[in-house]
Amino acid sequence: MADPGFSSTKRDPIKSSVGNAAGIRRREHAVTVGKERRESLVRAKRLCRVGISDVEVDVESDMMIDEEQSILESQTSLAVQNLKSALAYQGKGAMQKRVGALQKLRRLLSRSEFPPVESALKAGAVAILAQCLSFGSPDEQLLEAAWCLTNIAAGNPEETKALLPALPLLIAHLGEKSSSPVAEQCAWALGNVAGDDEELRNVLLIQGALIPLARMMLPYRRSTVRTAAWALSNLIKGPNPKAANELICVDGVLDAIVRHLTKADDESATEVAWVVVYLSALSNIATSMLVKSDVLQLLVNRLATSNSLQLMIPVLRSLGNLIAGDSHATYTVLSPGLAVTDNAIQVMIKCLKSEQRVLKKEAAWVLSNIAAGSVEHKQLIYSSEAVPLLLHLLSAAPFDIRKEVAYILGNLCVAPTKGDEKSSLILEHLVSLVEKGCLPGFIDLVRSADIEAARLGLQFIELVLRGMPNGKGPKLVEQEDGIEAMERFQFHENEDLRTMANSLVDKYFGEDYGLDEL
Amino acid sequence: MEWNPQTRQFLSDCFLHTLSPAPEPRRRAESSLSEASNLPNFGLAVLRLVAEPPNSIDEQIRQSAAVNFKNHLRLRWSSEDNPILEPEKQQIKTLIVPLMLSAPSKIQSQLSEALAIIGNHDFPKSWPTLLPELVSSLQEASQSSDYVKVNGILGTANSIFRKFRFQYKTNDLLLDLKYCLDNFTAPLLEIFLKTASLIDSAAATVPPPPAANLQPLFESQKLCCRIFYSLNFQELPEFFEDHMKEWMSEFRKYLTTSYPSLEGSGPDGLALVDELRSAVCENINLYMEKNEEEFQGYLNDFALAVWTLLVNVSQSTSRDQLAITAIKFLTTVSTSVHHALFAADGVIPQICQGIVIPNVRLRDDDEELFEMNHIEYIRRDMEGSDLDTRRRIACELLKGIATHYGDAVRNIASAQIQSLLSSFASNPTANWKDKDCAIYLVVSLSTKKAGTSYVSTDLVDVQSFFQSVIVPELQSSDVNGYPMLKAGALKFFTMFRSQISKHVALQFLPDLVRFLTAESNVVHSYAASCIEKLLSVKDEGGRLRYSSADIAPIFAMLMNNLFNAFKLPESEENQYVMKCIMRVLGVADVQLDVARICIEGLGSLLSEVCKNPKNPVFNHYLFESVAILVKRASERDPSLVSVFETSLFPRLEIILSNDVTEFFPYTFQLLALLVELNRPPIPPIYMQIFEILLSPDSWKRTSNVPALVRLLQAFLQKAPNEISQGDRLTKVLGIFDTLIQSSSSSEQGFYVLNTVIESLPYEVITPYISHIWAAIFRELQKRRTVKLLKSLLIFISLFLVKHGWSNVIDTMNAVQPNIFSVILTQFWIPNLKLITGDIELKLTTVASTRLICESPVLLDPAASVSWGKMVDSIVTLLSRKEQDRVEDEGDMPDIAENVGYTATFVRLYNAGRNEEDPLPDIKDPRKYFVASLSQLCAHSPGRFPNVITENVETANQEALLQLCNTYNVALV
Repeated sequence: MADPGFSSTKRDPIKSSVGNAAGIRRREHAVTVGKERRESLVRAKRLCRVGISDVEVDVESDMMIDEEQSILESQTSLAVQNLKSALAYQGKGAMQKRVGALQKLRRLLSRSEFPPVESALKAGAVAILAQCLSFGSPDEQLLEAAWCLTNIAAGNPEETKALLPALPLLIAHLGEKSSSPVAEQCAWALGNVAGDDEELRNVLLIQGALIPLARMMLPYRRSTVRTAAWALSNLIKGPNPKAANELICVDGVLDAIVRHLTKADDESATEVAWVVVYLSALSNIATSMLVKSDVLQLLVNRLATSNSLQLMIPVLRSLGNLIAGDSHATYTVLSPGLAVTDNAIQVMIKCLKSEQRVLKKEAAWVLSNIAAGSVEHKQLIYSSEAVPLLLHLLSAAPFDIRKEVAYILGNLCVAPTKGDEKSSLILEHLVSLVEKGCLPGFIDLVRSADIEAARLGLQFIELVLRGMPNGKGPKLVEQEDGIEAMERFQFHENEDLRTMANSLVDKYFGEDYGLDEL
Repeated sequence: MEWNPQTRQFLSDCFLHTLSPAPEPRRRAESSLSEASNLPNFGLAVLRLVAEPPNSIDEQIRQSAAVNFKNHLRLRWSSEDNPILEPEKQQIKTLIVPLMLSAPSKIQSQLSEALAIIGNHDFPKSWPTLLPELVSSLQEASQSSDYVKVNGILGTANSIFRKFRFQYKTNDLLLDLKYCLDNFTAPLLEIFLKTASLIDSAAATVPPPPAANLQPLFESQKLCCRIFYSLNFQELPEFFEDHMKEWMSEFRKYLTTSYPSLEGSGPDGLALVDELRSAVCENINLYMEKNEEEFQGYLNDFALAVWTLLVNVSQSTSRDQLAITAIKFLTTVSTSVHHALFAADGVIPQICQGIVIPNVRLRDDDEELFEMNHIEYIRRDMEGSDLDTRRRIACELLKGIATHYGDAVRNIASAQIQSLLSSFASNPTANWKDKDCAIYLVVSLSTKKAGTSYVSTDLVDVQSFFQSVIVPELQSSDVNGYPMLKAGALKFFTMFRSQISKHVALQFLPDLVRFLTAESNVVHSYAASCIEKLLSVKDEGGRLRYSSADIAPIFAMLMNNLFNAFKLPESEENQYVMKCIMRVLGVADVQLDVARICIEGLGSLLSEVCKNPKNPVFNHYLFESVAILVKRASERDPSLVSVFETSLFPRLEIILSNDVTEFFPYTFQLLALLVELNRPPIPPIYMQIFEILLSPDSWKRTSNVPALVRLLQAFLQKAPNEISQGDRLTKVLGIFDTLIQSSSSSEQGFYVLNTVIESLPYEVITPYISHIWAAIFRELQKRRTVKLLKSLLIFISLFLVKHGWSNVIDTMNAVQPNIFSVILTQFWIPNLKLITGDIELKLTTVASTRLICESPVLLDPAASVSWGKMVDSIVTLLSRKEQDRVEDEGDMPDIAENVGYTATFVRLYNAGRNEEDPLPDIKDPRKYFVASLSQLCAHSPGRFPNVITENVETANQEALLQLCNTYNVALV
């Protein structure tokens, strides 16, 4: 019912259209303030409650689960004291005594979801455990000490920092001379250290943890690969890309990634995929190397064959990063006409249909980046069964998914730009999507509290206003209350949005609009 | 400027004098201050004055200094021109926080704003100490429960965090946000919870503490909520997710608890608590929109809390802001994935009765606005600027629920409408607002059909509603009784105009004319608007539904009432009435005598607005009315031209001589219209205007240029002989030369040139041609924009079809030997495909065809490559759709913009120029092209097909063949 009337003060012309913003591939922001979403699925820090070697069955563990925390704490202090005296003891059976004391402490630290880390630290556990890691110590002792440290490192950030003195030794035991259970336990401890603090990651990197961890990933030994990959994914997660750049250049790493993604079980593949996530998110070198290998194909296959949410999340994310990060991915590897491209679109559709919100969202993001490719890519998506699905999601999905879906649909309607040229419309797509009712979804985005979504909505409105044949655009926009939605920006503090909305209203609903139609 | 007793005295005196009621000392003080503000350390000195103890400097002086300090910072903190230097900045940053916190409230608010200005530029990267300082002060103030300080700090934090609400998400912004989150979220939650517990214990105290004790606590919570909004705006931060429970349980408390001692203490007390509640509603609305997954667990409780709250708030006449934000939250829920909350039995009727209807009902504020500020009322009621009114938001909620529960909403709403109408029927005097409410619901919940002005509703049957509800109002004999109901009825008529059949509408047209005399500004504006819109209704096929015959019976009364409406108080410049006049003049059959009356009426309005142009919309329609009257009446009766001239010339002269610049573009357009309506020879008075037209001063304002070009074209066409005399043509071409030098006006320059070429005999132009080419080549050297290239091709084509190819080639080559072939190969051939517009396409096609079929230069076998490429380009131009061959250069309008209201060019729709077709004899350019080509080929069989195969792209060869088949010709 709005009569836009007539406005005499003209404003800046519209500078941006979807072609300039939505038409480009979008990478994930390197900085995040939200919760790390992977955490809810795979924790950044992991407690080690059952031994790696799977040899030992902890008979006592079940009996003590209900113990009072205070008892546990005092027992822990005592255990550290005992360890100290065991270490001081030089007589007969010293070795057994030490291992026994270590086991005692380790059991206490493995018993509950909330290990008594604070008591252990107060009692001076780190120094004594570091001593236990000295070169030449028997494997059993090394293993127990590293295990204790693993669980101490799983504490809060301050507690993790207490491990600093032990780090050089933990790293030293990652080497090829160590037995694999020892190396793996040390990797686990270091993975915890790298879990949530950039400063500690830097310390580990300076002390040379990267290369030995990377080498542990090379042979195919399930649990070693899994642990090493997990620790590496923590170690390289930045935001500084240096570690990721270094990792991909380590001899054999790329091959190992390809091999594991091809053959490994879901669980190991999950950890490897997380490594790929961070490599592709942070390092351009890595992205380009991964794209040139078979990784895209493998990721697509994994998505097609697996139904494990844990695996699908990092795989989708990697795929998205690679496509967003390197034009080669879209233009050469996923070029239209190849089977892999069809498969990729099919797996995205599979994820869009999934019940899992996170898969839907990630898949929509990936698809929006493919939709930012060539006209042929757009046609491929446009003619797939994705479109009805997307139109439905645009009107009914939760906000974050709607926004990603809007990027896809917007991208489908503009041809790619070359150099400075202004993007042009793909009229067929625009007309048909608008006819199928996508405009209200975009106008809803204009009304949303999210300014990027609002920008996207405005850009799409601009396409409709400019592009719909026979000047139908303005009337469609008016009918869906688009003028009112745009007028919300009349005095908005974001200058870009304000200018865009105001100039659209002026240009298409200015004096001539009132005169011509009414 | 050094801080010493002299400076202190000087500044203190100055600020004292700035408060003086006497203008002389005040001005002197202001100019001394503005001079001193150029000295280094001026800002610092003023800040030190603000910091002086209260007993030594009067608070008024310090306050005025604080204002000055803030403004100084706004201008100079990071300006190009004489900015504050780094050492001074450092000192200011060190001083300002503690100073602000200890200042009395009026000074505190100024310093807080000043701090926010610094923050906008420097925070956080160049001011790393600010946030830690705020945090530690907050903790100190919190420990001593010093809420003046607490709120000062929170206020500052609120303003420096605001940017997170409107800037785009970039890595830089996220880094800043992360920094703020890392430092501020924990202390924020801490103070929020502490204040909450203070409020709780105060609420539990008997007798309750005085309102004054509670007030700062609520103020503080409100600030915390606003900060919450800013920090959560971009995405949900980890800290807030981890502590959602703490925040949400307090939020809920404020929605469900009442605080009688504060709320009952007066309107300010209630307003403050409501502000907190509104801020809470905005926060939960944000979560609902963006983080509904994480928020889900709290949703049920909040939905219940909000709608319980709303049932109370809806009964109250004030509390608008809270009602609006709370309804918005429910609307968000209703359209979200959790809309099932509304599916429960009885919820929708309850919302409709308890929330929607009470908010849609007229309240005292609406009545007051209707009477006191009709412009604002109409803007909200009719033009959709009512986004933030309770009425509109309540309807939005209903529409929101209808997205998933359409049938339920329809049933309940139509039942409500019926019950409102029967309540009115039972006692019309007492219950007239119920009828208004019913009409409002029908109109607001109607939907518009794409591409038409067709509005429909499924709540009532439009025809019978019109007859039973609207007609009684329209037929009411007292045009001044129940004006709001009249306005509602007129609005309904306007909205559903397409659906009211013609004979029914005509039946009530006299009533509409009658309502033009209503005292209420809203009512006569709506009546004018309704007539105007009715006259614009188009039936299938775009034909206007109402003709001159339909309005003939009431025409005299209509015009009379329209012009009289301007005499009603506050409607002197009523834009709706003016627009209606324009529309009526566009439909009616205006006879000689009526035309005289109308032009006098419009003329005197024109004289009036010239004195002080205020309402641009009114003025625009006034000029449109004049233009359409002049145009239609003169076309019907050419003798009227002189009548119009007599009436208009003195008035237009006043505009020009009194420099009423905002009307210049209109004036030139009207003059152009008058020139065109004249039969040559045009009256001598026009040649005086022509002299004004040639003066360079007129062209300086970019807003005048399009109108002046239009006028110049009119002169060139209607008075070619006069223009050929003296040095007038030299001056005209001088204007052309100036215009093409700026890329914003180059097209306009070519319009002038094209008109010269079209209108004047070749002999007259000959002496100037080499200069024209030289000017064009000079521009080509400077820039080769699509616009310039297109203009060039159109000009050459026009030249060629008017005066022949040999004149084109010879005059070009006379400027520089052989330049024609350069222009041909570098500009003409490659850019031909850029041409848009039917006339332009025909013109350039014909010119290009003639060139390749007639000129020896191209027919020379040595030029066969160029010949072939030209064929290729012509085929591209003719065979591809415009959008496939033209790259849009961008949406840059032709005229330089951003010069404010006074200097914009506004096109007069009704004074528009009819496009002249320079080649009226050629109907179909495609046919012309292939026919000419085929003839040429027939003269030398076998020669051209080869050239075509070698030089024309394969796709275009196909297209050419198709064209030949279409027109049944062959290329041999």
